[in-house]
Amino acid sequence: MFHSFRQAMAWLHTWFGLVLGFVLMAAFFFGALSVFDREIDRWAIPATRFEPQPMPSFEKVLRPAFERLQPPPEMVEAMRPRVDGPMPERFDRIAYWSAYTTHRDPVLAIYAGWEVPGARNPDEQLYAVGTIDPRDGTPLPDDRLKIGSGFFFPLHYGLTLDWKNLGIWIVGFSALVMLAALVSGVVMHRKLFRELFTFRPGKARLRSALDLHNLTGVVALPFHFFFAFTGLVIFSATYYFPLGHTQLHELHELHEQHEAAALGLPHGRSGVPAGLANVDAMVGEAQRRWEARGMAGDVGFLVLQHVGDANGYVSVYRAGTDRIALVGQGIHFKADTGALLREDPPATPVARVAEFLTGLHLQHFRHWLLRWLYVFGGLMGAVCIATGFVFFVEKRKRQHARVGSQGVRIVDALAVTTVTGMVLAALGILVANRLLPEALPGRGDWERFAFWGTWALALVHAGWRSAPVARGLPNPAWREQCWAIAVLALAAAVLNWITTGDHLLRTLAAGYWPVAGLDLALLAVAAIAAAAGHRLGRRAEAAARIGAHGGEAAHA
Amino acid sequence: MSATPVPASHPRLRIAARTGAAVLGGYAFTWGFIAACTALAVKLGMDFHDAEFLASALGLLLFLAVFLGTVASRRGALLLWGVLLGGGALLAAAGSLLQASIA
Repeated sequence: MFHSFRQAMAWLHTWFGLVLGFVLMAAFFFGALSVFDREIDRWAIPATRFEPQPMPSFEKVLRPAFERLQPPPEMVEAMRPRVDGPMPERFDRIAYWSAYTTHRDPVLAIYAGWEVPGARNPDEQLYAVGTIDPRDGTPLPDDRLKIGSGFFFPLHYGLTLDWKNLGIWIVGFSALVMLAALVSGVVMHRKLFRELFTFRPGKARLRSALDLHNLTGVVALPFHFFFAFTGLVIFSATYYFPLGHTQLHELHELHEQHEAAALGLPHGRSGVPAGLANVDAMVGEAQRRWEARGMAGDVGFLVLQHVGDANGYVSVYRAGTDRIALVGQGIHFKADTGALLREDPPATPVARVAEFLTGLHLQHFRHWLLRWLYVFGGLMGAVCIATGFVFFVEKRKRQHARVGSQGVRIVDALAVTTVTGMVLAALGILVANRLLPEALPGRGDWERFAFWGTWALALVHAGWRSAPVARGLPNPAWREQCWAIAVLALAAAVLNWITTGDHLLRTLAAGYWPVAGLDLALLAVAAIAAAAGHRLGRRAEAAARIGAHGGEAAHA
Repeated sequence: MSATPVPASHPRLRIAARTGAAVLGGYAFTWGFIAACTALAVKLGMDFHDAEFLASALGLLLFLAVFLGTVASRRGALLLWGVLLGGGALLAAAGSLLQASIA
């Protein structure tokens, strides 16, 4: 089909990059924002603007909070057809209670799962998620959308298209294409080292767009490869190649039995009721043991399996604040007696590689410089893809104009939507978050509508203004959406001030960086967008002066 | 299996056949590779989740190589489909046989 390997790679790079580039933009951009997901949560939910808290006392805070949890009624209804006999009034066959926290979490997310009597598939469980204030256990309303960790983060790996995990599959395929685009891009260019130092902004649009595409691609090449690859690795065994749940289910079962034998408890429930010893004492014992190993630390993950059953046990994991791994050093206790069952042996070499790859992608450890480098790496990926679109359009614009093709007009409008439109959508949800009434029922849904609505408007606007592209001229929507970004970003920062009183002078003076940082970022975005809009405007005026026919001039 | 050349007058069909082989054939082949590798590593005494992780990571890199190679290959698309699906099925069968010999 192709005459040479390089030609095949160029074809693959162009067309797969074009089609999946739109998805990759979202993965990179919202991934870059997810680096500060918990900080964005603080901005979006003013009631949670306080300092991060350690894992609270189980007996005083967690136990009452867990006991309040029940599966949501709609989930119970949804499962009813797959259960023989009636659903219980209250679910008490607890599969697990767990809580996870990091050095950046003021509020605590708690999780519970229940086995359902009569379930046709005994592995199908009901579960619930709650959020509490760890200082006193007060439940926080869970319909407040955590815009960072509850929206931008899942958007980054699954586009929030939950039906059959479709979004996760689309993003996964795009990640494979990202890897292929990196390899094929390197094959196409060859003069890799020179690209590092080449950017000619003054040259023709075509050349400078390509320079920037190559520069951002090559400078951050290891970053792009690492994140696309580890993103796939993290989800591989769960979604993309779920062998342990399908073809190799028996091997997985066998492994679970080995694990149970190592723990010294039978696998699964016994059916014999049993009490729960003091969990705080177990946590204290775990911390003493970590200290004895010379690695004193906080609890990151606490899990109680089969609560109320004689086979129940409690696992305490050390927070990975100073480690790449999310958590580690697990110590397990028998739930009814509090007796030590097992200390996890040191991780195997393969497990350490796995911890390193996933831990470095998710970055729950403390390293603020690296955190910022991730943001810039992610944005560089977004710039690389965006300049790819621009190059595609610029290269074909005149030729398409000659033959009357609408191809690049459509691509350009979609590029406007994915570049400036995506930023507008992210700002739209932040503005809606500050404008919607506090007590509005289903507030989180309205915030999501604001996000998708803003994005849809950006698409309509980009398409409506795209006619000049078919004549070989730029789309004025680029410039206009830049100005819209400047206005919305400024509005979000000002609205935060008006609705919460937390203006920059106050948050900076108090050193409350989660909110100060986002406000500063919003102002920076406003300034950059205004500068870009201004520049594009001057360029359009210059083009109109030297007598471009119709096009820009007609719209000015 | 012999590669039936698709007439040059159907360039879109040719592209669809080839990219289909690269994506779907590549997936099937990778599935088989991960199944065989995981089962083999467990057979050789590795922990299940270690084996699963190692095989997945290698499998994803293999998928990338197969994907690129299939797009660039000078062989006919039909042959590539056959090799990838057949190879994937053989590897998956090897994985199941290894599992049966352990569990």
